[in-house]
Amino acid sequence: MTALVFSMSSLSLSTVVRTGVKVPRNFRLLEELEEGQKGVGDGTVSWGLEDDEDMTLTRWRGMIIGPPRTIYENRMYSLKVECGPRYPETPPFVRFVTKINLNGVHNSNGVVDTRAVSALAKWQNSYSIRVVLQELRRLMMCKENMKLPQPPEGQIYTN
Amino acid sequence: MAENSGTDPAVNTNADENAAKGGTIIMVTVKTPKDKEEIAISEDSSVAQFKEEISKRFKAKQDQLVLIFAGKILKDGDTLNQHGIKDGLTVHLVIKTSPKASGGSTSQASAPSPGVSSSNRSTAGAGNPPPASTANQSQGTGPSAAPAQPGNLLSGFGDLSNLAGLGMGSSNFMELQQQMQRQLMSNPEMLSQIMENPLVQNMMSNPDLMRQMIMANPQMQQLMERNPEISHMLNNPELMRQTMELARNPAMMQEMMRNQDRALSNLESIPGGYNALRRMYTDIQEPMFSAAREQFGNNPFSALGGSPDGSGAQPSRTENREPLPNPWGPTGSTATTTTTTSTSIFNSPGMQSLMQQISENPQLMQNMLSAPYMRSMMQSLAQNPEIASQVLMNNPLFAGNPQLQEQLRHQLPVFLQQMQNPEALSVMTNPRAMQALMQIQQGLQTLQTEAPGLMPKYIQMPMILIPGGIPGAPLSTGGGLPSETPPASAPTSTPAAGANPSQQQLIQQMLQMFAGGSQSTQTPEVRFQQQLEQLSAMGFINREANLQALIATGGDINAAIERLLGSQPS
Repeated sequence: MTALVFSMSSLSLSTVVRTGVKVPRNFRLLEELEEGQKGVGDGTVSWGLEDDEDMTLTRWRGMIIGPPRTIYENRMYSLKVECGPRYPETPPFVRFVTKINLNGVHNSNGVVDTRAVSALAKWQNSYSIRVVLQELRRLMMCKENMKLPQPPEGQIYTN
Repeated sequence: MAENSGTDPAVNTNADENAAKGGTIIMVTVKTPKDKEEIAISEDSSVAQFKEEISKRFKAKQDQLVLIFAGKILKDGDTLNQHGIKDGLTVHLVIKTSPKASGGSTSQASAPSPGVSSSNRSTAGAGNPPPASTANQSQGTGPSAAPAQPGNLLSGFGDLSNLAGLGMGSSNFMELQQQMQRQLMSNPEMLSQIMENPLVQNMMSNPDLMRQMIMANPQMQQLMERNPEISHMLNNPELMRQTMELARNPAMMQEMMRNQDRALSNLESIPGGYNALRRMYTDIQEPMFSAAREQFGNNPFSALGGSPDGSGAQPSRTENREPLPNPWGPTGSTATTTTTTSTSIFNSPGMQSLMQQISENPQLMQNMLSAPYMRSMMQSLAQNPEIASQVLMNNPLFAGNPQLQEQLRHQLPVFLQQMQNPEALSVMTNPRAMQALMQIQQGLQTLQTEAPGLMPKYIQMPMILIPGGIPGAPLSTGGGLPSETPPASAPTSTPAAGANPSQQQLIQQMLQMFAGGSQSTQTPEVRFQQQLEQLSAMGFINREANLQALIATGGDINAAIERLLGSQPS
């Protein structure tokens, strides 16, 4: 891991030519990695690299703990987050691995509809994976979602 | 000396349990949504060992723990190393409080039990008569708390909302209610009518009112103490609101009920599930029944169970074809379930039991009147006489008696005003006052039969108007009461209609005051013109006797005939 960090930072340093606000992708993602490992936030969402050896920091895994007093309570929802090459300028692709019945999530494959999640629809480069996960969790607490009948626990999308 | 890190047991001094594994000790933060702890664990240990430590610290069972790190769930067989868990990092913990095996029904109540109970509760809080009927049927199939809850709450509500439908401001008149309920249960149109009634809807859309109504019942309170779930349900405004939405929409309600039933039948099929259901039933349903019974004097569903309880009502599974007795109107209509040989309203057993109950239990009136919804109901009634008259007309008890309806319609505004008068209310809560009123009515009653020409017809208005009239003329009642009893007793001793004209005057005046200026001044002769003609055509030539009989039976020819025949010597 530390080797990775070294190489990344050197790479990103060499690629920084722009001025201003744009944060280099890998810097950002490394930051997010660290945050995920340190448990920044309220402890209701978690995220990290899918594969620790992934040098491109593209494939991530997320976990949302179902909010209490909703039908999602006590369940853990696993997600896959893909941060493309233009992240954080463009939003990541998010899809649920654990089956869920939630407005904005395709029933067949768990893909999250970008238009349904405001953090994705109105993405800003200051947003992060954590923000997306937390937003999804908030959606679970909405009136229209909090009582939707759910598939049995433990099922995952296969495609 | 190159110390071998990792596997050298000597390095481990603190964590004894992990001594076997060796390795450096790292401090890992374990975070739950509520709190966090730092746990010392060997770097090389497995997730299972880690969970052991955690279960000690968090006082939870190992199999209740779910660990998450970097977006992945840590499986027992993994090692911390595998996931890259190092010193100073944070692992998320979820303690599963509800075991997955609860419920087990596969319908909408999927795995988490909160799902099941929340859907239960959402149906349970409904204050809607229709589910009473479906609940009754489902009770026949399998004892279940959920439909039973709506059933029982509904018996409370159903009756109360009947009252709202009555708009009479009456108290919990037991028999009335039973009859109402029975008729309601067998007549779905009326249900929808009542539900559409804006008054009822208004009441139902106010969750606070509903909650208060439920909580006012002491039995309910007891029940709530024993089963905190119920109070939880009541206190959750979300649930209440949803419940009331359901209540307003009978179709949705039925849908829910059906889902309920399906879920519960699934439950039944699980071994041990039936017992659980039965337990639920005995825990929750029975007390609710007795609560309803206590308050309303009879188990409304007793007829269903076939138990010979209460008024001996016929089971309401079949449509109630018999017309309900009209406690206010003349009881002479055909084949009433409570046959009365009596004359008019006040002597009908219904009315009398009403009065008795009121006088015996002032609390009833008190409770009812002090309920917050009464105020708002009164106000809305007063403000909107349209609604009031509509509500009254919808009252099935009045359906058979258009005359009464007319009278009521006239007197409505006055009546409403009087109801709002706090004096009236206090009179109603005073048992002695009620008893006195009863006496007056009885006296008037006798007067009427003994001296039909004396009394104008409007005595037959609902007795509620009488207390309403009293505050309107507080002074004159003082004078009226003592002077009333002599005239009441006098005609009994002098059966002839030759009453003292001055007494007659007095009585007339009194009645006028009581009625708050009633407009109906038809004499019985005029009113029963048609019936009189019929009777004379049949051969009853004694016009006087006919008239008396007609008055006594309130215009019912058949009953009058029977009366006449019964009084004839041969």
